[in-house]
Amino acid sequence: MKLPDDRHYTEEELLMHLLGEEVSEIGSAIASHLQKCGQCRAVFQDFQLLQKSILAWKVPEASEDVWLARKVQLMNLFREDPSQRRGEGFLPFLTRLVQGAWSYALENPLPTLAYVIVAVAFASERTITLFRLDRILLATNEVLAILRQVL
Amino acid sequence: MTSSISDENLVEGTLGGEENAFSQLYDRYRRPVFSTVYRIIQDAEEAQDATQEIFVKLYRALRSWNPRKAKFSTWLYRLAANHAIDCWRVRRRRAESQIPDDSAERAPRENPLGEAIRSPYHEVESKEKVDEIRRCVDSLPDLQKKVFILRYFHELKLEEIAEMEDCSLGTIKTSLFRATQAIRRTLRRSRGLR
Repeated sequence: MKLPDDRHYTEEELLMHLLGEEVSEIGSAIASHLQKCGQCRAVFQDFQLLQKSILAWKVPEASEDVWLARKVQLMNLFREDPSQRRGEGFLPFLTRLVQGAWSYALENPLPTLAYVIVAVAFASERTITLFRLDRILLATNEVLAILRQVL
Repeated sequence: MTSSISDENLVEGTLGGEENAFSQLYDRYRRPVFSTVYRIIQDAEEAQDATQEIFVKLYRALRSWNPRKAKFSTWLYRLAANHAIDCWRVRRRRAESQIPDDSAERAPRENPLGEAIRSPYHEVESKEKVDEIRRCVDSLPDLQKKVFILRYFHELKLEEIAEMEDCSLGTIKTSLFRATQAIRRTLRRSRGLR
């Protein structure tokens, strides 16, 4: 039987191993394979060097004054814009409610569909005839009339 | 300590109109947002402008952040990467519509100040490598570029990126692998030329 660390690993698997993104079960198998296989080790080491070169790409740092000036602009915007404050108006509240319902619908399409079907069914006149509610109501009225006479 | 306040509390504070909360969010995320944007746009000054725009966007979109769906940082980096890619497209279109001159054909424009700060002690070879990497990242497809930057420089897990991009984990893994291979090939080629 072939052992799990008895095969060569693909370059993608070796890269994922380097980045700690491999499926956990094969992590130790790759590690032990790398100790034995020079071919896979060479690829792995190549990725290690590559990663080092990639991480050598640094970002220029602007002076604190530049950031401070930009922060002041941003905070002015924050102060001037009342839309983020509590006590918002009815329209923003309604918009948020609709947005919330919409995102719920996107996340949970099946329950939403069920709710819509139930709501439409109850709102429809056909529901009354479909479930024979008219007859139930009539029967209830008759029972009430009899009860009234008896009492 | 300000750093112990969670992102969720700062977001809640911002939504409640607390100026200090928004200020702390800015201080906490200004650098990582800028570094994401810079690596996509590759121009320090434009990256600063884009960072500012991202915070304005963030402030306006704060109510739509759903903590159950994504961490605040992941959500913000996605916003930043998407905005940066939009800016990069505008920049490229602008560059294409301009009459080409010799200098514009080479590497993307750098902020001279940034250049001076960035690499006084770097070895020539490593600087050349970084330039090759920058050029290669600039030519990657959008998704590969995004995954590459978020995984290598922000250490977001691929699963997080997949969730954030609404893609399968396999797609994200392939994107990262292809981006890494493209850079590997470029560096090999340039090594071969030298």
